[in-house]
Amino acid sequence: MSAVARLALAAVFFAAAAPILAVEPGAPAPAFRLPTFDSAAPVSLADLRGKVVFVDFWASWCSPCRQSLPLYDKLRSDFAAADFVILAIGLDEDVADAKAFLAEHPVKYTTLQNPQGDVAKAFDLKGMPSSYLIDRDGIVRARHVGFEPKDIDVLKKEIAGLVAVSAHAP
Amino acid sequence: MYSKKKSPAWSPYRHMRRSALLLLVAAALAGCASAPVQPWERGRLARWDMRWDPDGLKAAIDNHTYFSKEGTTGAIGAAGGGCGCN
Repeated sequence: MSAVARLALAAVFFAAAAPILAVEPGAPAPAFRLPTFDSAAPVSLADLRGKVVFVDFWASWCSPCRQSLPLYDKLRSDFAAADFVILAIGLDEDVADAKAFLAEHPVKYTTLQNPQGDVAKAFDLKGMPSSYLIDRDGIVRARHVGFEPKDIDVLKKEIAGLVAVSAHAP
Repeated sequence: MYSKKKSPAWSPYRHMRRSALLLLVAAALAGCASAPVQPWERGRLARWDMRWDPDGLKAAIDNHTYFSKEGTTGAIGAAGGGCGCN
């Protein structure tokens, strides 16, 4: 095989394996606007600029989410006085499954639906559940893949650090 | 002029044709790698009836029957080496 053919072959394989750039800490959070589960007005991430936002991706079939969703409720009450918002994005393809899960594990924070998974794709999730802590300027400051109850302590420290910093002038 | 020594299938583009075919096969093979199931698309795969042994009790009974018939144990799934010593 000629050198040119070999190069072309390599190019074909590399093109197929090209990874999408993941949303790493330090990168701006991808914008999204999603409907809620309780038919309230859709929520846009851009509207929450100036607040610390915790975005959690969950699904009814994700077993760690059974633990994480109720624990995030406590996290929310711990920072009730601060400019801190939790957005839990349900990725069930069948919205009825997600609704049944929420009926079983009711939470007080905002739950959004994304059955198409396009927001999950924009964030390029590496696992389920995945969560992102976004600062007042819309920059991702922490990313967590998977969930264990002890992760809450790490999150608390990260959130406390972010709510203590005020937003930069736009 | 047409030479008798060369077969009718001979063509100056033979090598090029072969390369093109190779590229096509490579692209088709690589295509399989470009559509993995994403983490958020595993809802169907996570269903209980997608498990290898959806019913634990039935699996235990089946294995018991199998072991009784074969006079050995193990070599079912990943656990046990099939040496009959466990």
